[in-house]
Amino acid sequence: MRLNDCFRRAVRGAACALLPLAVSACSDPSMQHLGAEAANGRLLLRQFGCGECHTIPGVADARGNVGPPLTHVARRTYLAGRVPNRPETMAQWIRDPQRFDPMTQMPDLQVTEAHARDMVAYLFTLD
Amino acid sequence: MRTLGILVSLAVAAVVAGLVVLYSGVYDVSATDQHLRPTFWALQTGLRQSVKRRAEGIEPPPLDDPALAARGLHHFRAHCVQCHGAPGVPPEPFALGLTPLPGSLSDTAREWTASQLYWVIRYGIKMTAMPAWQFRLGEDELWSVVAFLKTLPDLSPQAYRDSRAAGPDAVRGAMQDADAQDVDAQDTDAQDADARDTDGQGPRERESDAERGRQALRQFGCVGCHLIPGVVAADSFVGPSLERMATRQFVAGQLPNTRENLVQWIRHPQAISPGTAMPDLGVGERDAHDMAAYLEGLR
Repeated sequence: MRLNDCFRRAVRGAACALLPLAVSACSDPSMQHLGAEAANGRLLLRQFGCGECHTIPGVADARGNVGPPLTHVARRTYLAGRVPNRPETMAQWIRDPQRFDPMTQMPDLQVTEAHARDMVAYLFTLD
Repeated sequence: MRTLGILVSLAVAAVVAGLVVLYSGVYDVSATDQHLRPTFWALQTGLRQSVKRRAEGIEPPPLDDPALAARGLHHFRAHCVQCHGAPGVPPEPFALGLTPLPGSLSDTAREWTASQLYWVIRYGIKMTAMPAWQFRLGEDELWSVVAFLKTLPDLSPQAYRDSRAAGPDAVRGAMQDADAQDVDAQDTDAQDADARDTDGQGPRERESDAERGRQALRQFGCVGCHLIPGVVAADSFVGPSLERMATRQFVAGQLPNTRENLVQWIRHPQAISPGTAMPDLGVGERDAHDMAAYLEGLR
């Protein structure tokens, strides 16, 4: 996994150096591969304070360790220990965690459907 | 010329050094711990690449027929769950002692293609305890298992439990047979574990042993679902990573992360959060304290 990451980073680095067209996209290295939804999701994760509790790579100040890290959340089999991890279920979990697990400490943050969808788009880039 | 001489001498020296290591027997082959990290990496990478290459060109038949997956479930319950476990169901105790640990197939099914799964089931993998099923299951049966595995990532623990009771009539009888074979004795497991792990001292009288806990995390298959720093295994993301567990505030999304709560959660996840994918593994109190001691060291 780590080797893979290094490799990917190396490839990305090489691509940035070689492709003049990509230069502008490479100015913010964490944004270059994101679509509009995911880029917006990254900002929303910051704005809803998800990083207070979760470590989320690429999200400003997201170093929380109250709940589990979301470092490889796209590869996770289950959310909340019981929900099969798909974009639709992740959006539902973000919007109404108590529906899946009444005891969970994760608060209902009144995230709208559109916002949840964008957050999920970003979180599914974390593999 | 001189450079060539040096290169040849170096190569000879490397071979001799290799043979010395091999014949001296210093390398630990016990199954209590995983290979050294570089060895593990080499084996894992070789395995992955070999399967990838050999599965190329295998064209899977249509796999989305629920009846096919239901037949696969029958074979899965007869031949796979013992070593690999299932959503919310632990592997049998003997399988937890295997090295490498048979992985969670929910994770595998997400990461591997249908052709790759088929290849692995059909031909098995050397030195891993994964048998070849070629001479034991027919072509249709092999693909039915693949079809079922591909549904696994979408199967919650509850849905898996329900699927054991339902299923098409054609396979219901067979599945009930398989159910009858289920050893549903987790309570006694836990009691046995307590008897097993007493070393004459209660867990509170003795110091917890983090190094022993590290091995227990390997031996109870925890690393089959969780990434645990310091425990060598294939990175698995069935459940959350246990990195920085020492400072994690909550366990299971609900319990404050104290020693006592962590021990309870490790031992009785189904009592604390019924329906969780984390199975009761029959962990005794001493083992749980040692595991907790190791996790408390992960900063």
